Amino acid sequence: MCTTVMTGYGFWNVFSWLTFFVLITALILWFRSQGRSDYKEDSLQDEIFYGGNPVPSDGAEITVPASSAYWGFKKALHGFYTLLDSWHSGIATDYVAWFVFTVAIFALLLVF
Amino acid sequence: MLKPEMHLEYLAKSLWVFHCNSGSCNGCDIEIVACISPRYDIERFGMKLVGTPRHADALLVTGPVTKYMADRLRRIYAQIPDPKVVVVVGNCGCSGDVFYESHTLDGPVDRIIPVDVYVHGCPPRPEAIVEGVSKGILKLEKLRQGLLEEREIEGFIVTDPDQEETLSAEEVLAE
Repeated sequence: MCTTVMTGYGFWNVFSWLTFFVLITALILWFRSQGRSDYKEDSLQDEIFYGGNPVPSDGAEITVPASSAYWGFKKALHGFYTLLDSWHSGIATDYVAWFVFTVAIFALLLVF
Repeated sequence: MLKPEMHLEYLAKSLWVFHCNSGSCNGCDIEIVACISPRYDIERFGMKLVGTPRHADALLVTGPVTKYMADRLRRIYAQIPDPKVVVVVGNCGCSGDVFYESHTLDGPVDRIIPVDVYVHGCPPRPEAIVEGVSKGILKLEKLRQGLLEEREIEGFIVTDPDQEETLSAEEVLAE
């Protein structure tokens, strides 16, 4: 456990790692202590700033889901996505069946 | 804990300012932006505009406070840590100006939150805004000293009759 690992570029052992861990933790705590401490806890000064509005209790109202990035695609290719969605049953055996079916078609194309 | 700024007698902390447009025509806002341009460059004194009231020492308010903005202005004021000062920039915020008694207004600003410095003008020149903020610093220093004295005497609250009091966040929202 206490062996020193020599890599050719440096070394590592648990004591040096612990020393750096303690030093960096102390540094982070010191930085944290330099922040403002003159605010009132459990008041509005503790609350997230949301443009002067009350912060919605439902997190979905203040987050942008990743699917929003594809909104334009889904709108423009509405027919295509509707078809794909209808094919997605969520059952694994259906997907395996699609795989076998597709491989069979490609195999036939390759043979003939 | 070592706090280097505690050894400074004056301007222990750079002034960080949050700007709230409560219904302004943007004339005053443009003059505020001019203050941070190279000609006036208030950032050389450490003053800067910040994006959240939780980091701010001073609140710059422009506009006559429309009904929609009144609650938002109260909340923004309440979110600034103490000590804090409010500087109103422009005639609209100071008195309502030509919009005085309009049915769409809840302002001027001092009807919504306590105001420390009024900067008149339509719009005020950047020099006037810088002077107003400087007066705000003087007030802020007084408030800061008051808070420090309160902390020195643990368990007791020192009240200085000469010291103007700023309403707490809860008091403002209660109003």
